[in-house]
Amino acid sequence: MFINLNKSLATFIVLALFGGLGYSSEINIYTSRHYDSDSKLYSDFKELTGIEVNIISAKSSALIERIKSEGKNSPADIFITVDAGNLWKVQDLGLFTNIKSKKIDEIVPAKLRGANNEWIALAKRARVIFYNSAKFSYDDLKTLNYEDLNSPRWKNKIVIRSSNNLYNQSLVASMIANYGLAYTEKWAKGLVNNFARKPQGNDRSQIIAVANNEADLAIANSYYLGLMLSGKKGEKQLNAGKKVKILFPSQNKNGTHVNISGAGILKTSKNYANAVKFLEFMLTEAAQKHLVENTYEYPINSKVVPSMLIAQFGLDFIEDDVDVSNFGKFNSAALKLMDRVGWQ
Amino acid sequence: MLTFNNLLNNFWKLIPIFFLLVFILPLFFVLSSLFGEFNDNWSHLIEYVLPKYVSNSLILIFGVAILSLILGVGTAWFLTNFDFLGKSWLEWAIILPLAIPPYILAYTFTGLFDSYGSANEMIRYLFNLESDFIFFPNVRNIYGAIVVFSFTLYPYVYLTTRMAFLNQSRSLMEAGKLLGNSNRLLFFRLAVPLVRPAIIAGLALVIMETLSDFGAVDHFAIQTFTTGIFRTWYGMYDLSTAMQLSSFLFIFVAIFIFLERFERRRMSYSYANSTFKKTDSSSLEGFKNFFAFLFCFLPLFIGFILPIIELLNWAVFFPSENFLSNNLIATLLNTIFLGVTAGIICSIFALVINFLKRFHKGWLLGFSSQLLSLGYALPGIILAIGIINFFSFLDKNFLNLFFEVTLLGSLIGLMLAYVIKAYALANNTIESGFQRINFSIDDVSLSLKKSKFDIFFKIHMPLMKTSILTSLLLVTSEVIKELPATLILRPFNFDTLAVTTYIYASEERMYEAASPAIMIVLIGLIPIIFLSKIIRDSRPGS
Repeated sequence: MFINLNKSLATFIVLALFGGLGYSSEINIYTSRHYDSDSKLYSDFKELTGIEVNIISAKSSALIERIKSEGKNSPADIFITVDAGNLWKVQDLGLFTNIKSKKIDEIVPAKLRGANNEWIALAKRARVIFYNSAKFSYDDLKTLNYEDLNSPRWKNKIVIRSSNNLYNQSLVASMIANYGLAYTEKWAKGLVNNFARKPQGNDRSQIIAVANNEADLAIANSYYLGLMLSGKKGEKQLNAGKKVKILFPSQNKNGTHVNISGAGILKTSKNYANAVKFLEFMLTEAAQKHLVENTYEYPINSKVVPSMLIAQFGLDFIEDDVDVSNFGKFNSAALKLMDRVGWQ
Repeated sequence: MLTFNNLLNNFWKLIPIFFLLVFILPLFFVLSSLFGEFNDNWSHLIEYVLPKYVSNSLILIFGVAILSLILGVGTAWFLTNFDFLGKSWLEWAIILPLAIPPYILAYTFTGLFDSYGSANEMIRYLFNLESDFIFFPNVRNIYGAIVVFSFTLYPYVYLTTRMAFLNQSRSLMEAGKLLGNSNRLLFFRLAVPLVRPAIIAGLALVIMETLSDFGAVDHFAIQTFTTGIFRTWYGMYDLSTAMQLSSFLFIFVAIFIFLERFERRRMSYSYANSTFKKTDSSSLEGFKNFFAFLFCFLPLFIGFILPIIELLNWAVFFPSENFLSNNLIATLLNTIFLGVTAGIICSIFALVINFLKRFHKGWLLGFSSQLLSLGYALPGIILAIGIINFFSFLDKNFLNLFFEVTLLGSLIGLMLAYVIKAYALANNTIESGFQRINFSIDDVSLSLKKSKFDIFFKIHMPLMKTSILTSLLLVTSEVIKELPATLILRPFNFDTLAVTTYIYASEERMYEAASPAIMIVLIGLIPIIFLSKIIRDSRPGS
């Protein structure tokens, strides 16, 4: 406690009154992943390498703007974010440099990296369908595709959050990439017609709505169920979580929509070697194990298995292998499409 | 001939103007977007979403304005003029909702009133009802949002209005009473019209804060102008259109404020008679007694007690070890340090500017001060983008030429940002304080050969004690709650309580957000309780 106190006082008085332009033996990370469990990884990395990790966390778009504006003065070495769209955007702005590392190339499949290794995935998540196991059996639904969600069978039966949400924008962007604008617009219109209620709340509230029989199907990210089942979110969510199951949609079509958390090294980084070391560390078995056991995402390192809480719903599902850069490229088109079909 | 005194006078005048102009520059970074190209996204916005954004925002601000007016002015009237049940503690407790940011109230509201929220569960439990029985109406709509904003922001109206009621000449009120006016007539015909500038000053803050909010409306999934700004930026990757939208929001508020000022340009609200008599509160009996209590207790209950109960409920059942173990003391100190320092800087700045405005009739000072105040209406993150651009411009062109340091990502930079963001709070309070000091006091002092320095420190400052303290309190509690600018402008590894709360709340991990949120409230309470005691005691004439 006293160390913290002294440290913070020192910060006040001397160091942080003005920002510095960069030091050695440390790396500066801008991140939009706000997970507690990530800070454990940062301190593990420091213990292992002696390299200090400095963090600023904020919204992705604001961080990108800060990096852009700081230009060559930017203290940032690494940018970590969720959603491939955000990574694509930074790549598109030309702010990333190529990551040169044999270790990383071996672990991360090519489709989960930028074309020239501008960025890499650190973890995966699937946007899946949740159903109440008291109401449906797996066999009832196993052939269900995203493409069928506009069918009259599901009139007033589907819950999903608002179109402000990036995960939804990426899902629609992937549909545009696979099927084109006209098809997707018609599909989205049908989906909106099937909404059980005005989009509201986060992914977990959609899952809870299905557990409470307020709707039949919820579309949400896979790891949320892991969080609910972990009991970390309390009895109520644990009980709700026990009532629902995951269905991986579109197994007979393009596969289930998968998105990533990822990172890249900035062109202006003054600690390139340390930054590469850090990314390598994030892909080690130990770090990946820690990630999947705390955030319930899927690992990138194939030697690591996902948490049992989430693995129980199946691991050998077919992933939609559309290039994840499309989520960025078609994000704006997806948003406008959702505006046009009245997806609030 | 240029005397020393002359130089000093001009120096006094120029320095604040210089600062004012520097502070306004980030706003110009935002407004300059209007001179850029208006791209294709505009036609999409106009065709599909803009009408909805505008109408929702208008409904929201009208609703919030009316409700917070009723709450703010009503409670101020009761608490300054009458004795009733619980008055002694209500008088200081009434502003406690200031410690609750609107987005926190929004989160606790859904936690309480959603179909399976705590309040509905409790009703079901108490009356042994079926699990699909839902007692409370859905709050995730525009009416819910109106309630959330009004019940967290009414203290702005309360504070400015109460100050004005307290300073209101008693003799005027007594004259009104002697002429046979009932309390109700006194209220509507005399008291309220006389304190109109103060009410408007508070109301302007409420409206600006409502317009700039993103957290609460996003949580309720209401499409407002501000959520539109964010969608355009985050979703369409189009910052320039987002900045253009923000600029229009800014201009809308500017027109509104300037029209109001123009309309009352020739009216003076300072009193010819500056001798005050101590307020004699009259006692209320029976039903009136209970009604006054209820009227003042209800806003406190909804805006403070209810959310605190729900937050405690979350914090107790889901303790957040992470927050308690991670640098709690450092985070606390950071928060207090930033809040208090920003409060002092803003208040001094507003005092100097408004003092100078009294003696220099030029338009520049007043205009730029007003312009800077309008920064409050911009969504915090858009203002932050203006500040980022401004700082990196200064860094690249000035600071880096001489030093190995940057303004962006520094504490000094963060402090500057707070001054820009929260100046309106200090200015509105202090300006309306100055308006109530009779100009003849200045004239008399000048004719007695008192220096302006003396007038400022020996006459204005003591008369303005309440206003200055209120300004301090408002800025401090705003900075404690401030989020978007802190988030993006802060130095590495630097957290405040609001940042910690947000990091959880943004993922709707409200259980973890509860502990830091309660800390915000507790920290916010210290200045609020302390200052409300002083404000309560500082009645002129006593």
